[in-house]
Amino acid sequence: MKYRLTLDYTVPEGTLAPYFDALRDGRALAAQCTSCAATSFPPRPICGACGGREMAWRALTGRARVVRRADTENGAFALARFDGADGLATVALVNPARRHAAGRLAPPPDARPGLWLYLENEDDDHA
Amino acid sequence: MSGVVVAGGAMTPFNRRKDGSGMRDWARAAFFDALSDARLEARDIDALVLASESDFFTLQLNPAALIADELGLFGIAAQRVEGGGASGHLAVHAGAAMVMAARARRVAVLGLEPSASHLRGAAVGALYGLSFDAWTDGMTGIDSTSLYALSVQAFMEETGAIEADFAAIAARNRQNARANPNAHLPLDIAAADVAASPVIAQPYRRLDCSPLSDGAACVILAGAAALPDVGAGRARIAGMGVANDRVRLGERARPGRFGAKGVAMRRALAEAGTTVAEIGLAEIYDSYSGAQLQALDGLGLAVDVVRAEREGVFAAEGALPVNLSGGLLGQGAPVGATGVAQVLACALQLEGRYFGRRVATPPRYALADTHGGVATLNAVSILEGAR
Repeated sequence: MKYRLTLDYTVPEGTLAPYFDALRDGRALAAQCTSCAATSFPPRPICGACGGREMAWRALTGRARVVRRADTENGAFALARFDGADGLATVALVNPARRHAAGRLAPPPDARPGLWLYLENEDDDHA
Repeated sequence: MSGVVVAGGAMTPFNRRKDGSGMRDWARAAFFDALSDARLEARDIDALVLASESDFFTLQLNPAALIADELGLFGIAAQRVEGGGASGHLAVHAGAAMVMAARARRVAVLGLEPSASHLRGAAVGALYGLSFDAWTDGMTGIDSTSLYALSVQAFMEETGAIEADFAAIAARNRQNARANPNAHLPLDIAAADVAASPVIAQPYRRLDCSPLSDGAACVILAGAAALPDVGAGRARIAGMGVANDRVRLGERARPGRFGAKGVAMRRALAEAGTTVAEIGLAEIYDSYSGAQLQALDGLGLAVDVVRAEREGVFAAEGALPVNLSGGLLGQGAPVGATGVAQVLACALQLEGRYFGRRVATPPRYALADTHGGVATLNAVSILEGAR
């Protein structure tokens, strides 16, 4: 038998709404624990370091260094360390043909969720 | 010690179905063959635990009720268990817990998944991407191969593992699968063939990756007193452990190490009252060739897994044979059925009646290891042979 199912989701973003709003503008908004100052990007609602439940938004520069990358037929992805964040983040690479080890957060294509990194020379100034 | 007996079990072939059969057919085949193996009748079963990963694969919500009906089981306790790649193994734990708590006397644990035949591979891949944090990972289009590749790159850097180690595993598991009549990829290949296959995401090549499979597997769990001949000769689940890790790979202190497996393993060992040294056989979750080494490392089955791999410790003739079934790489991976089949393989090996490549001398203990995500949700069982 053949059956076609087309689904169109609208997913509420809850407490992470400010983060997603910032992402759509290409801005990096991290969560900083008010107890231990650990900074998570992407943000965590509960601190991954101390379990603290009070988090404050903190703007990052959006610049990141690529730690590892995986190139595939359907795109390239990386683990990247954003300036000011404690851990690594999984990112999709906007311009994978470039082999630079640094980049900056870019607005996601088609307003999709997730982190997209535009690779560029470390000394490029996009302020 | 749990004392839950694996009274019997069966599985369908794992492959990409081209015979017109569907998951309801596979469920019936695995269930009634398992019942026969346990020398029980359907009326003896008072609970069904069903494992399937995704309603998008089965196109069936509330699948436990549907499959119970399909099997002619009515008035029983039925539930579905889901935990990504670990779904089947977690269902075994749920069934064992029901027996241990005296909430059921004889439980059928049935795992199934139409991973290969219902949807195109690209659609399955997109759905698998949602197995991780959908909001940060899956919706970018990242696939599981890329996430596993990012993880294993870190493992390689820390341990000195190289692509040739992974190729040896990929070839060996496919060779093991050649003795398994239910295997999806019983390939007569060598490491050179793996190394020559196309790159999917560095360091992984096509033959380093497990396939999408269709199939079902079933085990019947019970206390010995509820079985014919009190389950004489049948293996027991001696210990179980589950532990999760951070979902987002980048948040882990060591993204290349499967640390939560060690937590699950210690729980299982403690419940079984045994040690790593007494494990003589293992079915390991080798979704990717390198993941097998990462798992063995995380479980603590060798001090230096890379060295042990190169010394042949994990080969069929080695001190700790791993994946004689072929593993996911060789036997295949219908997600909900995978963990059930791993537990079944361990039980049958301990009983000396495994249908594939057998261990030379059945050991006292065997280990089944399964996970969902990139070792995010980890399930471990230690089975003990009858003495």
